[in-house]
Amino acid sequence: MKKRVTLIFPKRSVHMPITYRLAKDFNVAANIIRAQVAPNQIGTLVVELSGDIDQLDAALEWMQSQNIGVSLASREIVIDEEICVDCGLCTGVCPTEALTLHPQTFQLTFTRSRCVVCEQCIPTCPVQAISTNL
Amino acid sequence: MRTIAEINEKIQRQQAIVWTAEELKARVGEMGIDRAAATVDVVTTGTFEPMESSGAILNLGQTDPPIKIRQCWIDGVPAYAGFGAVDLYLGATQVAEYANDAPELEDRENVSRSIVRGGGHVISDLIGGKSVQLRALGQPTDCYPRTSFETTITRETINQFYLFNPRNLYQNFVVGVNGGDRPLFTYLGPLQPRLGNAVYSNPGAISPLWNDPDLQTIGIGTRIFLGGGVGYIAWEGTQHFPLQKRLPNRTPIGPAATVALIGDAKQMDSQWVRGCYFKSYGPSLMLGVGVPLPILNAEAIAHCAVQDSDLVAPVVDFSIPRRVRPTFGLVSYAQLKSGRISIEGKPVRVAPLASIARSRQVAIELKQWIEAGEFLLTEPVAPLPIDRQFLAQDRWGAQISLEYDE
Repeated sequence: MKKRVTLIFPKRSVHMPITYRLAKDFNVAANIIRAQVAPNQIGTLVVELSGDIDQLDAALEWMQSQNIGVSLASREIVIDEEICVDCGLCTGVCPTEALTLHPQTFQLTFTRSRCVVCEQCIPTCPVQAISTNL
Repeated sequence: MRTIAEINEKIQRQQAIVWTAEELKARVGEMGIDRAAATVDVVTTGTFEPMESSGAILNLGQTDPPIKIRQCWIDGVPAYAGFGAVDLYLGATQVAEYANDAPELEDRENVSRSIVRGGGHVISDLIGGKSVQLRALGQPTDCYPRTSFETTITRETINQFYLFNPRNLYQNFVVGVNGGDRPLFTYLGPLQPRLGNAVYSNPGAISPLWNDPDLQTIGIGTRIFLGGGVGYIAWEGTQHFPLQKRLPNRTPIGPAATVALIGDAKQMDSQWVRGCYFKSYGPSLMLGVGVPLPILNAEAIAHCAVQDSDLVAPVVDFSIPRRVRPTFGLVSYAQLKSGRISIEGKPVRVAPLASIARSRQVAIELKQWIEAGEFLLTEPVAPLPIDRQFLAQDRWGAQISLEYDE
């Protein structure tokens, strides 16, 4: 199964080769969606973890025991359909084509599973219909 | 074949045959131009796109003692006051100088809110029935002794409130790209470097002026759908350039004809008049405009039959900050609507700026008004000029080449 989680690394854990440990110890594949990591700073990693359900849970438990903050509620793009006018301007800056226009109706379609929450759509929207939920 | 007076008689009997431009384009292929012309009385077109050369005229009604307003802010947005005492003109792109200081907004970040707001938002709020704050400074004279005035206004508490838009309904425009190496923030939205994306602003074949390319059926006085209410073509638009180069089907290959529009904002609907903001460019106004085209002869049908594949726009590089920017040639609206165009062999994602979905809704709504007998067509009282020369201050120039490869 797959789980998208946000991991917060305290300063002293930034050096940990986390994806290696996940793969080697738990057979969990980590697809990095977003990362903000720098020496001596709190690091943030948004990853999509895939693996056996028990091993996934064990991996999350182990990370928490290492003082890594694990949040299942990851930041998501929210589109206010009341405000959106379906202009489609956001579709041109969306790198993963999570935002597209329906080829017939030309209404905005958001495929959440493709979204990497890069947030480029937020300032692009001319009617400020896009935000994040966190 | 038929006259506008005959069409109006049918409309009043609720027997007029009205098709949207898209319905006509879909059906004309199988039924042929002559049969379509014999069948259809009116074709409705529509667009919903940012039209920044828009603004509202307001008359407040005098105060006691009276005031000759010289400076004025409506919801923090400066309005032009250089007319008679309490006449104001609020432009869509005017940037707010401060945010409304209404108590419920105290906790908000005043500055960040004001930056992304402008005249377009205030016009939309007023049309939506909201009350907005007004602050005015006067020049004391014997006629008008008062020096300052503050109040809140709604569309019900002011005398006149009408849109008067000097340039709307661009007949074609450009496709913006960025061939440079830094992001650009434009009136077409963000353009990413190294041809990262492309933006086009016209909704294509459904948009009004494609369907009457030589302005033969519309003119000054033509009644239209404007912002959900009734409006009129008032004049040629600013930068009106009917002499733009044209394809054999008479459609222009770049920005061409424009019109000035006027209409009572008190009757409009904020659904069709929306304030908008382009990051690091400024505020503007998205507006729904629909034009009914009377089918007086078969030629009118032939013009309305143009498809997205018959229309082209120039791809313009915004990284060169010159009046006449270099172009990457012409692309068809069918290519643009596919979401991807090819520039110098490289695939580039392309997004619209006009809402194609809402442009369709405008055409459908206008069709329904006419079918219900609520909207009659008008004879133009004077034609729009079709021979305006283009003077040197133009933005895009007539220099766009006609080379076009399918």
